[in-house]
This record gives sequence, C-alpha cells and structure tokens, in this order.
Amino acid sequence: MAVTQLPRPPEVYKLPQYKYVDAVRWLPPISALDRHAVLALFDSDGGSSTVEIHSLLNPNPDASSTAKSLTTLAAWTPPSRVSSLKTTNLGHRPFIAVSTVDGSVHVLAAQNAHSLVEMGAAPRVHAGPVSCIDLVEGGAECVSVGEDGRVNLVSLGDSGVSSFRFFDSNGLVSYSAARWASPNEFATGGLGFGLQWWDRRKPGGPVSQFKCNWTQGRASGIVHSIDIHPSRKHTCLAGGSSGTIFAWDLRWQQQPIILSGVVMGDGSKHSVSDSSEVWEVQYDRDVKSSNASNFSSSSRMLPVMMCSEDGILAVVEEDEEPVELLAEPCAINSFDIDKQNPSDVICSLEWESVAILTRP
Amino acid sequence: MPEPDGGELGPLSSSPTPPPSYPLRHSLRSPLSPRVSLCWCRGNSLRVSLFSQPASEVEFGGEVVELKLNDGGDGEISNAQWRRIAYGSVSPFAMLQSRRNSFSSLSKINSSPYHLEWWEYVMEYSKDINSLLGNPKSSKNSLIEDPKTFVQKSEEPTCLKAAWELMEMFYADKLSQPWLPERLVDWLADYDSLFARAYGTVYSKLLNFQNELINLQVIEDDPRYWEVIASALAVGWLEIVVKLLRLHGSYQLDQLSNRETENGLVEAVAVLISKMPRMRPELEPRRLGECYKAKPDFIKAWEKWRGQINKLDCSAFWIQCHHVQTREGLRNLLQIMLGNMSSLSAATSHWLELYISHFLYVRPFTAGLESMYSLAQRCIQLKPMSNSHKLMGVMIGILGENTEVVLAESSKEFGPWMAAHAIELLTAGSDEAEALLREERYSLGEISLEELHRLVYAQVLSSHALSWQIAPVYLSSCLKQGMGLLEILLYRQPVPHKELLLKNLEICRLYELDDISSNIMKMAGVHHWKHGRKGSGVYWLQQAQDEFRLNKIAQLLFGSVGKSISDESFKQWEGLIELLHSESKAAGGLEFLLKYRDFKRLLQQIGDGKNDVAAQQAVESLMLLMKNPSTPQRFWLPLLNDSLKLLNWQDRPLLNVSQTNLLLNKLQELSIARLRPHFVKPDFPMEALNSVRLSLATNLGRAILEE
Repeated sequence: MAVTQLPRPPEVYKLPQYKYVDAVRWLPPISALDRHAVLALFDSDGGSSTVEIHSLLNPNPDASSTAKSLTTLAAWTPPSRVSSLKTTNLGHRPFIAVSTVDGSVHVLAAQNAHSLVEMGAAPRVHAGPVSCIDLVEGGAECVSVGEDGRVNLVSLGDSGVSSFRFFDSNGLVSYSAARWASPNEFATGGLGFGLQWWDRRKPGGPVSQFKCNWTQGRASGIVHSIDIHPSRKHTCLAGGSSGTIFAWDLRWQQQPIILSGVVMGDGSKHSVSDSSEVWEVQYDRDVKSSNASNFSSSSRMLPVMMCSEDGILAVVEEDEEPVELLAEPCAINSFDIDKQNPSDVICSLEWESVAILTRP
Repeated sequence: MPEPDGGELGPLSSSPTPPPSYPLRHSLRSPLSPRVSLCWCRGNSLRVSLFSQPASEVEFGGEVVELKLNDGGDGEISNAQWRRIAYGSVSPFAMLQSRRNSFSSLSKINSSPYHLEWWEYVMEYSKDINSLLGNPKSSKNSLIEDPKTFVQKSEEPTCLKAAWELMEMFYADKLSQPWLPERLVDWLADYDSLFARAYGTVYSKLLNFQNELINLQVIEDDPRYWEVIASALAVGWLEIVVKLLRLHGSYQLDQLSNRETENGLVEAVAVLISKMPRMRPELEPRRLGECYKAKPDFIKAWEKWRGQINKLDCSAFWIQCHHVQTREGLRNLLQIMLGNMSSLSAATSHWLELYISHFLYVRPFTAGLESMYSLAQRCIQLKPMSNSHKLMGVMIGILGENTEVVLAESSKEFGPWMAAHAIELLTAGSDEAEALLREERYSLGEISLEELHRLVYAQVLSSHALSWQIAPVYLSSCLKQGMGLLEILLYRQPVPHKELLLKNLEICRLYELDDISSNIMKMAGVHHWKHGRKGSGVYWLQQAQDEFRLNKIAQLLFGSVGKSISDESFKQWEGLIELLHSESKAAGGLEFLLKYRDFKRLLQQIGDGKNDVAAQQAVESLMLLMKNPSTPQRFWLPLLNDSLKLLNWQDRPLLNVSQTNLLLNKLQELSIARLRPHFVKPDFPMEALNSVRLSLATNLGRAILEE
C-alpha cells in the first residue's frame, strides 16, 4: 500500500465513548459559536441505543492545548439499534433522520442544542434492517433502502411523517446505499457493485442501471456508500468491497472511473486499502483554492475522502497517491466532513470511540 | 470479565428494572412435569428457561429470563473500562508477537550488538500497556501551592496498574535492577492509598491530618503532627516531611526571636532530611535527596550523612530546646533516620511500609531477591496481615521468585486479561521462567501455560459482541489450539447482519482461512435465500462458488420466472439477472436465466420484422439455448413459441435443415416426456404446440428448397 503522508498531519483527538458508536454526523449549526455532533450510540451492557447531541468543547480555552471533549446535551431513545443517520438544515433548524435495524425511519428536530424532539416515525417500512437513508438537501424528505429490496420515500409534512413505497423488488435485489442527486432523482447501490438511478417522476423501476463486467474476474462486491456532488449531478461516486472506489458518469454509461481498488486491464490503479471494505465515501469539501481551479473546468474527479474496515481514513484523487489522514488498528465505520468548516472531520471508530480531526 | 471465585456466582446487577421475560410457546402434550433449564448465553448472561404446563388455553407454556451477572471483580474497573483496556492492548501485543518472531530468527543468524535486547522490546510493550491502565499519578506539587496541603488527592489509582508496575519493575526493566529498593519506595508512594481500606496506611494518616490542619492553632503541640511526620519520613516521602516541618510554629516571624534554638534544630533536621543520599540515577524535579549512581560513592555519602545525624543527635542544643514535643519529635525523626527498629515499626502501618523503611534506613545496600525475600518475611512477622489484599499475593510471589505463583495470583486477582498479558513480562529476562511457561504440559492437554492463558482470555473476548473481533489476534498466537478455536469462533458469528458478516470474512482473509470463508458465505447465501432475499442469496452463493446450491435454487427459481417476452413479471427479474453477469463467477443453472434474458432482448430488437442481422443473432442464441443441457425442459415450448416470428421469417428461412431438425427433435422429446410419470405440465395451450410444429415443418420445407 503506497500512501503519501501529509506534509503536516492533522490534529487528531480520540474520545472514548464506552459505547459502540453506530453512526456519527456533524449537526448543522444551531448558534454561531457552538459546534455540535450527533452520535448514535449502543450500550452493550444495557442493550440500549440512544441518539445524542454532543457539544464539542475546548476544555481549556486559555491554555495552549487545543484538546477537545464531547459533552452530551440532549438524547433520544430509538426503539432499536440505529443503522443509519443523516442530518440536514431546514428553515434554520437542524433535522436528523434516523433509521433502525427494525426497519423504521424516524425524523427528529433539534429545537436547540438541549432538546431533541421526534417529529414522527414510519414504523416497519422495511422487513428487516434499513440499510441506508438519505435526507434531501434542505428538505424533509428521506429515501430509505434495505436488503428486503424496498425503496421507500419518507416525508415530513404538516400532519407528521408519511411513507410511500416507491419500489419493491420483493427481495430479488437488495440495496445497501442511497443518495439524493436532486429533489427528484436519487441513486442506490447494492450487490455486485450495482448502481441504480431513480426518478420519482418515473415510478416502476430504475431509470438507469449500472452493472458491467468491469471487475475482470476479480471478486465482485457490495456498494456501501454513495455520494453525489451538487455541482456534478451526473456523476455517482461509490465505495464498497475490496477497497473499491469508483464513479459512474451517467453520460458515459458503461465504463466506470476507478479511483481505488480494482485493477483494470494492465494499468494498475492506486489502492488505498488492500481488499478491505470501504464503508463510506464523501467528496472532500476541503479543497484549497489553488487546487479548486484545476477541478472546476476539467472533467477530473474531485478529491474523495474514504474510511475503511482496516482503519484508514484517507483522501483519494484520480491518478494520484492517496493521502492518509488516520491509520487505526480498528475499523473506521463512518465519518462526516463538517460542511461549515470542511477542514474538520469526525469519525466513528470500531473500538467504542470517536475521533475528531482538524486539518491544517 | 474477571471470573467469579470458584463455587459462588457473581452478584446480580442491581438494575432498577427487572430483566425482561419472554414467553415460551410449546405444544408439548400433558402430563408434563415442570422443568427448569439453565445455560450460559453471550457475555455474563445466564439464561433461565422454565417449561411448565399451560394452565389455560391463553397461557403460554413457559418463560425465558436472561439474567445479567455482574463481573466477579470488586468493581474497581467497569466492563466498559475493561473493554477499553482490551482494545488498547491489541496493538502492543500484536507488535510484540511479530517482534518475537523476527527476533528469534535474527538472533539465530547473528547476535549483533546493534540490535536491542529483548527486554527492551518488552519494556516498550509494558509502557504501552501501562498507559492504558490509568493516567500517571500527577506530581505531588501543583502549580499554585497551598501551604496547608501536602497530600494531593489525585485520581484513585488501581490495583491493576499497581500490580502491572510491580511486575514490570521486577521482571522487565533490567536497567532498574540495581535500584530496586528505590523503585519500590516510589511504587509505594504511588499506591499506598490502595491499602488504606485493608490495613490503614501512612497515606490515610496524612490525609486525615491534613483535613484537621485548619482547626489546629499550635501545630507543634499536637502529638499527631509529630506522628505523621515520623510516618512520612519512615516511608521516604521527604518532600512532605520537609513541608510539614516548615509549618512548625517557630518559623513564624513573631516567634523567631524567642525560639531561635528550637527553630535551628527544626531547620537542621529538615536540611539533613533533604540531603539524604539515595542510591538511584535521578530524581524528578522538586523531589528531595541526593542521587548516587555508583555504590562506592553512595556508601561514602551515606556514612558521612549518618555521621552528621549522629553528631546532631549528641548535640548540646537539645537541652536548650524547651519545647518538649518538638524535642521528642525531632529526636524520634533522627532515630528513624538512624534505623531504630522500634521507631520504624511505630511509624509504619503495614508490613510493606515497614519493609520500605528498612530499605531506606536500615539496609540501604540490600541487593538480590533472596535477601529481599527474607527481609519481607521478617517484616510480615513483625506486622502480620490482618486481612488479605489483592496485591499481596503477587508481591510475595515476586519476592519469593516463584513465577507460577505470580501468574496464578495475578490471574486469580486480576482476571484473564492480566494473565495473558503479564506472561510477556514474566518471561522477559529469565530463561527459566520462559521454559516454565512455554513448556508443553501433559496435564494441560499438551499446551503450555502461556497458551492456556491466552486461550482463556480469547474465550472471554469471544463471549462479548463487541470484543469477539479482537480474539483472533490472541488465538493466532496460540500454536497448538488457536486456529481450531478461531475456526469455531468464526463459524459461531451470526450471518444475517451484513457488517458482521463482512468483518467475519475479512478476518478469514487475514488469516487465509479460505475454506471457512467460503462456508460462511454459503451459510449467508442460504440464510438470505430462506428469508426471501433471493438476490442476496444468489450473490453470496455465487461468491462462495457453490454450484451445487445454485443449481438447486435455479430449479426453484425457474418455476416463478415469467416465461413469455410479453410477461411483465420478467422485468422484475432484471435486477437479479444483472448479478449473474460476471463471467468468472459460477452461476450454476442460473446461467440459463442470463442467456434467456439476452435472447429476449434480441427478440425485442427485431421489432417489426425487418432487422435481418438481429434476427440471425436471435436464431443463434435460440440454438445455443436449445442445445444447452442446462436449459430446463419446461422452457423449451415457451422458447419455441416466442421464436415463431423467426420460424416464419418472410424473406428467407433463417434456420437451416439441421437446425430445424434439432428443434423438431426437441419437440418430439417433449411429446414423449408427457407420457412419463413426473412430467410437469407447462401452462401452455395445446394450440401453441401445434402452431410451433406447423411453423417448424414449414421452415423445414423452405430450408430444404433453399439448399
């Protein structure tokens, strides 16, 4: 694994939680000064789950040390373990969507940092666990997918939460990732590195499907995470098994752009994580201005941040060596880049802790 | 996690809510005598099941309750803390194992002086582990000094850390061997508070006195003042002694003139104390004493210092000191420094403190474990232990040079984590200990003590849903039985949960357990298939390359696949069929579905019947399908029926004579098959069969003419 180190490594703070961290997200700002994160925690001793708002504090603001700590401000108890967690900002209020392993989807609102109120729930919209949910940017609509092959749209209206089964493959296809591209379109991913593009105006099945035999005899895998950049809605970025990160350009259907993992033909690609699962991918929003011009015009892929089962958090770019931000002895299950402050990243570590990175 | 003492169960967790009970439905016929079944389930849970006869129709026939048992420890370290320690110790442990492997292969080739000694690696490991067990004790002096505080109440230290440091000091840290007595002095300074509950300590005496200090007007009149100073001096806490002495009333400006001699004596003693020679390489800043690295220098300084004390003791100034308590108190301090046994014994609370005071004032040149052990026995005789303490067994085992006792005591008192990790310390420098702990024993089933303790620890890890995934690190270091247990562990993990399944497979990949990985994928495939997730089922069976099961499920699938092109339900299958696309992966009988789909696509492309090229391709595809033995018979007629368009192609016959003959033969076979007993009747009208036969006959005629 050839990985370049950053010239200046990020500052890393590891905060043990003593509970399993199922998911972690930054919360959109409630007030100008405070910073908050949402954590879905599972207490294995008590067998209970909670969704908590934590405030990120600097315990000694005067001292030179910039050590950070998390303090619980508000908590909500889901009916079962959390499988996926997303946040958005709607009318200057942070909204949190939570899905559970029992197949329910819940929408929560944070009135302020100290109160977390459930706005409504769609119970048992999936048979079995919800694999993934996504909240549409600036709206209260959620897409949820599951291994049962259902695609549900859950929306928060005046009369509470309503859900609508958009598609049901009856288990013939399982979905493991979902992401909105626009208020009407979204992408899903699943087994065999398959991606599907959906348009809610055209029900009855995916508008477009991506699955070609590009793994060239190597093990096929599962898509665990999808991201779509608001400025490039035609490109669907996916991360999954065997350290694979690829992008599917809707305009150029059958050939994926491979960022990491699978070897294509004779041209070997940089691999950030050898054959391990890539649990989450997100476009890196922390693009320095000097680099930004390179990306704005060209068709080059934007840099991508990823986390993996073998404990790597790294930024990957097309045709370049990955830049490693964190290498842990345990899996990094999820991460989130702060939208307001893109140099800050929060990630959940398998060994019951959270890490916060501040990039220089 | 520590195992409960033999014979007694751990206490029930005192949760405010009673544990949930689950109804147990059974359809056993009466008469039924009630039965209770007890078994362990995951972690510290005990499952109690009660079978009984339902009293009425609506009642269930039994109940299951899962009771959570607390760990048998004294609650010093919570379960979550234990897990944090377990997580943190994985990397140091794995690192040390890999170093051992490369070290043993290296030292066989050459013993280069540039390489580190083995104990240095163990020290690195020990420091990493030690840092997990708690923060280093904050130094006794804070930034802003309160003149009335001499004992800082810092974070409560743990016995676990104390025991670890003790073992590190005696077994791993070869550099500190010449200064062992001084290391013990420091150790007791850090951990004396641990003994407070069991024996009463100098530490607790100091703490009590500090709390009352505010109420005291004339401090030197209080006998307890002199008592605590003597105690602190006996165990070598010189900074505290000097600080306390400087609280003496004679230092106050208004009294200085009246009590000049008295003050001079107090100061003289304080200076003597702060100049005490110490046989150690260095002292932390703000700590008192003068360090000597070499023994001859130390002995010289020691004798000079003792001479000064003697001189002061015989000085005439004592007579001029009119404050009785001060005079007696100070002279007692001198006696302690001169090693007066009765003074030392009076000043200390338990045998360890007495032991330490011996090192400091009676036998500062003690070296060698043998003499240390006999000294310890004498101290225990002088101050017998009224009740036992966790650390004592380990301490005495170490001093008695009995590795097996140390291991057994640390396992008993601190649990399997300690035993598995402390072995590395015990074997660090001693070939004897290494032989003892690594020797395979018949009584243990041909495994060594080292392996036994690692296996036990791995079992403890395996029993918890969050820690099972670190057990492989320990199992893989066990040569004899580790891999077998690892296989069992991996098979035992539930497959339905995707993340867990993938983690399981990742572990298989790391340890190159391909067979297990393929079996686990098969299990996952069958599980998903059974629960109606056909896509996942096919995916995992494909990953496992399980042709046998794929063929089986193919037969099940064909029954429900839409047969005609016009059939809308076929669209639903597209997603599943897409999965079968990769060439490398075995699809078994499912391969047919893929070809069938492709054929249907071609037929759709023909559309209005003008596209010659597509039609020709469709014919080839049809022939391939009909020739392929994996094409199920029940699809033959639908296939031919769908191809009527091809058979009746307007411009020219698309099928040649031999191709037509083949299809006719298949049709004939189908007609004969109808007469067989197990024939599945296709839900197809008879007219279809007739029109296919007619079209084939027509095509045959045209083809013959063409040729």
